[in-house]
Formats: sequence, structure tokens, C-alpha cells
Amino acid sequence: MNAPAIGQLEVVDGSLDAKAPGGDIRTRWDRHRFEMKLVNPANKRKYTVIVVGTGLAGGSAAASLAELGYNVLNFCIHDSPRRAHSVAAQGGINAAKNYPNDGDSVWRLFYDTIKGGDFRARESNVYRLAQLSVNIIDQCVAQGVPFAREYGGLLANRSFGGAQVSRTFYARGQTGQQLLLGCYGSLMRQVEQGRVKLFPRREMLDLVLVDGHARGIICRNLVDGKIERYAADAVVVATGGYSTVYYLSTNAVQSNATAIWRCHKRGALYANPSFMQIHPTCIPQMGEGQSKLTLMSESLRNDGRIWVPKQKGDKRAPKDIPDSERDYFLERRYPAFGNLVPRDVASRAAKQMCDQGYGVGATGRAVYLDFAEAIGRLGESVVRDRYGNLFDMYHEITDENPYQVPMQIYPAPHYTMGGLWVDYNLMSTIPGLHVIGEANFSDHGANRLGASALMQGLADGYFVLPYTIGNYLAGVAPGKVKDDHPAFADAEANVNAGVRKLLSLKGKTTARELHWKLGRLMFDHVGMARNAKGLTETIEKIRALRAEFWENVQVEGSADDLNQALEYAGRVADYFELAELIAIDALARDESCGCHLREEHQTEEGEAVRDDANYAYVAAWEHTGDFGKPRLHREKLDFENVHLATRNYK
Amino acid sequence: MSTPRFQLRSSIGKKLLNGLTGVLLLLFIVAHLAGNLTIFVGKDALNAYAATTHSLGPLLIVIELGLAAVFLVHAGSAISVWRDNQAARDTRYMVSKSKGAASKQTVASRTMIITGLVLLAFLILHLWQFRFGPTTPAYQTTLPGHAGEVWNLHLIVVETFKNPIWTALYVVVMILLGFHLRHGFWSAFQSIGALNPKLRPIAFSAGVVFAIVIAVGFLLLPIFVYLAPDPNAGVLGLVKP
Amino acid sequence: MSAQNGTGLRSYKLKVWRQPRGAAGGKLVDYEVSGIDPGMSFLEMVDQLNESLLKRGEEPVAIESDCREGICGTCGVVIDGMAHGPIPNITTCSLRMRSFPNGATITVEPFRAKAFPIIKDLIVDRSAMDRIQRRGGYVSVNAGSAPEANATPIARDVQESAMDSAACIQCGACVAACPNAAAHLFVGARVRQFALLPQGHPERNERVLAMVEQMDAEGFGDCSNHGECEAACPKSISIENIATMRREYMRAAVGKR
Repeated sequence: MNAPAIGQLEVVDGSLDAKAPGGDIRTRWDRHRFEMKLVNPANKRKYTVIVVGTGLAGGSAAASLAELGYNVLNFCIHDSPRRAHSVAAQGGINAAKNYPNDGDSVWRLFYDTIKGGDFRARESNVYRLAQLSVNIIDQCVAQGVPFAREYGGLLANRSFGGAQVSRTFYARGQTGQQLLLGCYGSLMRQVEQGRVKLFPRREMLDLVLVDGHARGIICRNLVDGKIERYAADAVVVATGGYSTVYYLSTNAVQSNATAIWRCHKRGALYANPSFMQIHPTCIPQMGEGQSKLTLMSESLRNDGRIWVPKQKGDKRAPKDIPDSERDYFLERRYPAFGNLVPRDVASRAAKQMCDQGYGVGATGRAVYLDFAEAIGRLGESVVRDRYGNLFDMYHEITDENPYQVPMQIYPAPHYTMGGLWVDYNLMSTIPGLHVIGEANFSDHGANRLGASALMQGLADGYFVLPYTIGNYLAGVAPGKVKDDHPAFADAEANVNAGVRKLLSLKGKTTARELHWKLGRLMFDHVGMARNAKGLTETIEKIRALRAEFWENVQVEGSADDLNQALEYAGRVADYFELAELIAIDALARDESCGCHLREEHQTEEGEAVRDDANYAYVAAWEHTGDFGKPRLHREKLDFENVHLATRNYK
Repeated sequence: MSTPRFQLRSSIGKKLLNGLTGVLLLLFIVAHLAGNLTIFVGKDALNAYAATTHSLGPLLIVIELGLAAVFLVHAGSAISVWRDNQAARDTRYMVSKSKGAASKQTVASRTMIITGLVLLAFLILHLWQFRFGPTTPAYQTTLPGHAGEVWNLHLIVVETFKNPIWTALYVVVMILLGFHLRHGFWSAFQSIGALNPKLRPIAFSAGVVFAIVIAVGFLLLPIFVYLAPDPNAGVLGLVKP
Repeated sequence: MSAQNGTGLRSYKLKVWRQPRGAAGGKLVDYEVSGIDPGMSFLEMVDQLNESLLKRGEEPVAIESDCREGICGTCGVVIDGMAHGPIPNITTCSLRMRSFPNGATITVEPFRAKAFPIIKDLIVDRSAMDRIQRRGGYVSVNAGSAPEANATPIARDVQESAMDSAACIQCGACVAACPNAAAHLFVGARVRQFALLPQGHPERNERVLAMVEQMDAEGFGDCSNHGECEAACPKSISIENIATMRREYMRAAVGKR
């Protein structure tokens, strides 16, 4: 079977209703909230909502729904909700507060986000996100999140990744952990009050549909292996992104795509799967046994200067290379933004320099991030105040002191803008199934701006979903479906069969070895730069790997025990299927935009060339049962408020 | 869930009690040492100290009962804490090591229950020997400037510590007291929340000094009595032939 | 990088605690690993061991981790008798094999405490900490009812100090390292963060009383001021937090607002 050309795929237009309200964008959310149906406060306790995931999106949604009076069943793959990978976000969270009085506004944040996403996001959603950003900061401060402050006691802001205003709130290098702690606190308060029932160490393995509506989930209890059924009136999936398809990424060990992928296989459309952000400031890979790449906050780019030697293959120590023989390639190519260009631009430039032979370090897959100038200008103590924890982390990992030797960095898969398709109400194409946070596709387009992920997760969870889910529930009679419905038995049998199959394979290779091969393939051909030939070949290779997996993988242990090998193998099995869809999406999008650079569509200087006439749409894929032949639904994107323009950071 | 209340039986409450009684015992021990040191002045000084104490009459009983209560609460809370701690780690580590650096863990801190129990047993012996020692006429003496006879505590001390076994025992116990104080001194203040980041290192270091001063101060007495040719004359007795 | 500083690949003898799920006890089992790059993390070394066990048809060692960059608090084992291993102020996942000489014998045990029952091998159940958090590790504020963020200025040193406490990642190393298996550092850090910040003041008394009550009910030990918790804490949380918790507890006793 050959990889499909775009012409062979079935394309459907006009099937997707984003339910985005029209009219003045500034009042859309207000009007929409007014027009939505409400659930009577006395009736809310009769409704049960399942929330899968306890990160910033899932945790805030579960807490907020419980505060409103709904019964919430909250599922968590970790031992504690506070471990969700939101915890690892370092740099900060954007909000259009304009505290520094430097000209920021809701409109500017909206504009920057649309432009940063290279015009592949939905205007209505992005405007709402910008509006809600200010409420998030209020909420988090009230929770006791210790954001950095000025000497006067008021909140401090910094400029971050490509923004020309200072709108980023931060808590040292651990903004994600502090926001998550606030959110976790709210969640635990509801657990204590009995409104949220928490299910830790559970992995969602299937979605249960009754009469076409999402009415429950099937989980595996990761401690004793029991397959469990949970029924509800609606399901919210907040299980994060899927960068782990690339094996080496900044994501966590337990981050995975299984929950959203199994929803997809049950009928939820998967939007823009190939929109995958590669983060520029990660510590380069050091060895074959490496399990993940460590991201360092891109706030480092505020003071660090990125360079490579002008001479190819220059093996001199960095301090021996005089300034005149260094190529500060971002400053050279983008004089206005310099080292602060958006992530995709910085990542791609670094990769290009390395591909051309200018890379440094043992592997040649690294560029320098140099603080010598900043230390000279500000003094070491100021640099230590700003970045001390990051420098320490770098030193710990690499055994090199960045106060003396330039850091080495290389891009790494980080954040997936793609995800399950949702409408303005954050509901997927399956009625009742809502998807929030990184798991959905909605707000970032083809590239996400720094410090916007935390903002989106919390906006979805605290301020959007709690209203919009009411609109769905108001049309549903509560508690109609119980877990003895035949659909639950079917789904459970499906899950059990999958588990048994994995344990029966008894092959000679491990899931990790195959995952590693898949990741290599994806990074090289479906990573920062893609082309039709590479993608077509890659699709074939992914299929071969998937076949090898199902013939030759070895999973030890029992289904009725804590079995990490089994958990992992199940996730890897899903990665092969998803990887193919990612490659198909990348192949079908025959333009360059944001993170998605098709080498066929670039300027002579290597800049992305969009094709707005043909590709200003969201590519939402429907599972047809044949992984090679997904059906493409196109949601046309209209830009009424921000004029389509070529991004220019020169 | 019922409204939680302050509980002296809580882990914090027990340590508050232990720390508070610990601080009181620190004061007591300083006073006790000051009294003991009178022996270095001479026989009469020690007996005058004893006589003055006894002259307090009913007040002395109140003080002694109070002191007994402090000791009992200190020991009781410590034993209770120790039992909690035994239960809290039901399986021991195969290998266990201190990580050093910020750790305040010492031999002293790990043996508080042992040194404490030894001190408790010692306390009973010590009271029996001295507080409730013989009061027969043989143990009465006169005191310059004092009408009538007074209790000759000095004689009991000398009789006791001319015996090398008692001297050795007391020296050993006082060294253990030093260990107890090495952790107990700063720990008592930490337990009642009296330390802050500036005071903590000072208190931690001061604990060593305090422990040495107290232990040496106490163990000098038996050694002095054992070695001195004429303990009746205090330190002056050392220079006499 | 590591290759530049590298001193060649290394081998180690491991003694790893293996305990089947539901078993009352377990034992140290000997393994050998080789071909270890000194730049590899400790957990990657265990990954490599587990790969070889899988290929030999043996069950891999159950061990938990998630972010592998020292912030989520999931990982944590006792290595050569020390929680998170021999290097101060890092988590197990941040520990690199260059910290162990070639050929060394390394003993790996789970965090041990009655309040942290072993689930399997090196994985323990730390849900007791969540149950303590439930009793008050938060400010009671519903989404939507927050005042404007800059309405209450907070002195920078107060906020920085609160941040020192908020840095706790709830890994449980303090409990594991404490000779008494006490959780005072963890609970103290949560109490202190909210005792310092004005947002935490309305529930100040109830918070410390309830969290301490739950801590005791979970079967953690009592604090004897060994300070081993601070030494083991990957975030350098100070025992000042324990002193503060005790002050807060007394303060609550007199019902001071």
C-alpha cells in the first residue's frame, strides 16, 4: 500500500460547525454566554461529569465544575494530581494586564497570538483567550500563587519569547508548578467537600458512547490492573499533548496520547496533528540511553546570545573563537527581534545552521547560547538572580559551568498545537465529549507563543468549560446512563482484548526500542522541516514499525498487577497509529506555516511561505478504520479582525 | 469532619511540651551547677547553699513538686514521641546514611531517648543519694553565722565520691548529659518555635558550648572530690600538702 | 558534552529492593549493568537495566518517575542509604551516573515509612500527603470571585519567602530521610506559605490545626529536629518551616486572628 497523495483522500467541507458567534469580536463571548442554556443551580448536583487529567486544564475544570455544584469524577494517571506535567512549565503565563503601561491590551495579545500562530487559529477563540487572561491572574493571586513582585509589592512582568511588551507573570523558574499548586489546592478543597471524587493511578483506555453521546470511560487501575467502568452525563478530556510520539521530547515519562487517540478512534476528529512545536532552548541529546530532553526556559534568550562559528566544523573551544569569527545568526537574520524571534523561527534557524555543518558540541547538533556579554554588562550576580536555577540545572546535567562556558542548546519537540477538534464550546465532534488544554487544538494555530500554554489551560478550565458544558448538559436528562449499559461491556471487552493481545506477543524486541526508532524517524522527517518525499517514505516506515511491533514486541508480567511494561507498550502501540496521521497531515498541508515548514514552500532565506488561498483551514481528520485513509474535514478560517499578512520578524 | 482543635497530644503539642520543659530544665541545670560549684569554695559554702535551700520551707516543696512535674512531662512526652517514631517506620532501611550539609543529625540527636532514659534512672539514684540522703546526727554539722545545726551535705558528697565507682559512674553520666544537651539545647528552642534563620545556627553552635560547659562543670565535682587531699577546704585544699 | 568530559563507559553492581505487590516484605536482589555513560541519569541507568531484564524474560523493576527534570516530585528512591542519592538538593531523576565511581555497588531501596506503604518494588503510596493537603493546603476561593490581582500589594521579601516554602514538590524525601519518618517539613512548608501571604490569613488557624491533625492521623512520626529532611530536600526547604508551623499551631491555640 502506498502513502496516499492528498488527491486520494476523501475531503469534506462544511461539515464542521465551530459555533463561533459572529458580530463584534469584542463582545462575542459575552453574547455567547448570554445565549447559552443554563442548568438550574438546584439541578447541577444531579449531573455527573468525568474529567480525565489533573493538569492546569483538567484540575481547574474539575475544581470549577465542583464549585458550581456538579458531581465530578476526576481521573489522574499519577499518584497525585499535583504531578501533572503542567508542573514543569518554567517561564511564565501571559496576561493582558498592561501593568507595565507599555501599550499592551487584550487586542494586542489577541493580535500577537493570531500572528504568532501564523494565521491558522480561530479568531473567536483567541480573542476570548486574550480577554480571560486577566481573570486568570486575579484568580491565581487570590489562591496564593507567589508570582514575582516589584519592590513596591505589586506584580512584576517580563517580556517573553517574541513579545514586544512585558506581559508575562512568573514565579521564579517554576511558574507551572506554582499555578498547578494553586489549581491542585482548589481541587483538593472540592475533594474534601465531597464534590470531586478523585481516582489516582488510573489510565483512560476507552471512551464509552451511548446513542452517539459520550457517557463514560473505561480505565485501567494501574495498581491492580483492574479494568473499571465509569458512567457520567458528560466527559471532559484534559490529558495534554502528544510530543512523546517523537520519543525524545520535553514531555514527561507518563505523558501520552492514548486517551485522545482512543477518543479519536471512537469518532472525535483530530485537528492539525502535524502542528508540533519544537522548542529552541533545550539541552542537546548526549547519549543513546537518553530518555528525555530537558527544556530550559526561553527567558534565557532575553540575555543570552545564540551563535555558531563562522567556520564549518570549527572544533576550537568557544572562548578561543574571537567575536569576528562568530555568527550570531539570529541577530544577523532578524535584526529587529534578534534572539527573541518566535520559537519556530529560532528552532528552524538553529537546525539549518547545524544541517549546514556549523553545529557545535560532540554531535554537531547544538548551537551556543552565550551569556558572556550579559555577565559583562550586568554582572554575574544579576545574571544569577535571573537565571540561577536554570544555570544550576544545566550545570548539573552537562557538568559544564555556564557562567564560564557558553551553554549548548538544540531544539526539541515540546508542545502540540494540534489535538482533538473542538468547537467554540470546547466540545468535540462527539456530543458530550469536551476537550480542553493541550489535548485540544483550538487556540494556538500553527505555533504557540511562549507563556501561552498555561494561559490556555487555565482559561479553558476555570472560565470557559464551566459555562459551555452547562449548555450541553441543559439539553440532557441527568443520570440516564448507568455503567451496566451494554456499551460499557463492549468497551470493556475491547480494552481487555487489547491488554491480552499485548501480553500474548512474547517477541524479541521491546516497546522502547521501537518507540526510539519511531521517534528518530519522526524527528528527522516530520520535525522542523518536512518534504513530500520524506513524508511519503516515512509513512511507509511507520507502518513497517507498527507491523514489527505487533509481531515482535515483548511485554513481561501480568495484566492483574502494577505493570509498567504493559502500560508503556499500550501507549507505544497508539503512537504508531497517531504518527501515521501526523505524517499524513503534514503531507496533506502542502504549504508552510508556523512550525510546519514544507521545504517545497520557503523563501530563499528559508522563511515559511503560506498558501492562504488553499490552506487557511483547520484540517480535522476522521478515523475511518483504515489508518492510511482518514477522511479530511476542513474548517475554513476567516480573518475578519487581523489581516492575513506574512510574519516578519526581521 | 469536626473542627480541629489545638491538641497537646498532637505531634506538635508533644514537642511543644518537650521543648518548653526542656528550656525549664536548662534553667534548672544552670542553677544546679551554680549550687554545685560552691563546693570549690569549701565545705561551709556548700552546706550554706543546702541550708538556704532548705530554709525555703513549704516553698521548696512547691518548687520540688513543680520540678518533678517538669521532669515527668519532659520524659513522658519524649517517650511518647519516641514510641510514635518507632511505629512510623515499621521497616528499617538496609542501608542508611546522613546526607550531611544542612542536616543537624548527630550521634547526640539519634541517642536522645537512650541518654534521656539513662538520665532518668540516674535522677532517681541521685535523689536517693543526695536529696533523700542520711540525716542522722552523724550528718549534722555547724555553720559559721548560723544558729543550730545544719545538714552536712558536704559529708555525703565526700563519702560518695571518695568511692571511685561512684565517681566513675557520675563522670560517665555527665558525659551522656553533655550529649543530651548537645542536641537538646538548640532543639528545645526549635521545638517551641523560638528560632528563626538567624538564631538557628547560633543556637545550634551554642548547643556544643553549653553541653561542654555543663558536662565539664558537673563532672569536675566528683573528680575534684575524689582527687583533692582536703575537699573541706574547697579548691584551696588542692594547694595544701 | 558528556563525551567531551567522559571517562568511558562504566559498570555497576546494583542491589535493588524487589517486593511483589501485596507482599509483606521483599529483598535486595543483585544485578549488574554495564555500558553506562557517565552523563546518563540514574533513572536512565535503571531504564537500561529494565530493558535487559525484559529481553531476558524477567519482570522489570517497578520504579516511578515522570518529568525527569526535578519538578514533578514523582521519582524518589533511597540510594546508598540517602533519599534521592548522595548529591544534595536534587531529585533522583537529576542524579547523574558520574556521581558514582566505575564499578561501585549501589543499593536502591524504596522510601520507607508506615504512612508510605510499598505498592511494588520501589513504588510507594504517598497519598497520605494528598489527604493532608485536602485539609487545608489552599486558600478557599472559587473561580470567578477573585479581586483584582494588584489590589493587595505584598512586600517583595514576604513574597520571596513564601516562594521558598511554595517550592516544595511533595516528593516525600523529607519523610524518607527523617529518622522518625515525620512529614513536618512538607506540612510546615504548606502552612508557612499561607501564613506569610495575606490571602492565607482568613483560614490561618483552621489550616494549621487541620493539617497537623491529618498528618498525625496518617501515622507519620514526630519531628525530633534532626534536620535530615532539609539535607535531603531537593528544593532546599528549610526547617524554618517547621518552626513556623509550631508557632502557627500555638497561635491557633489562643485563637489569635
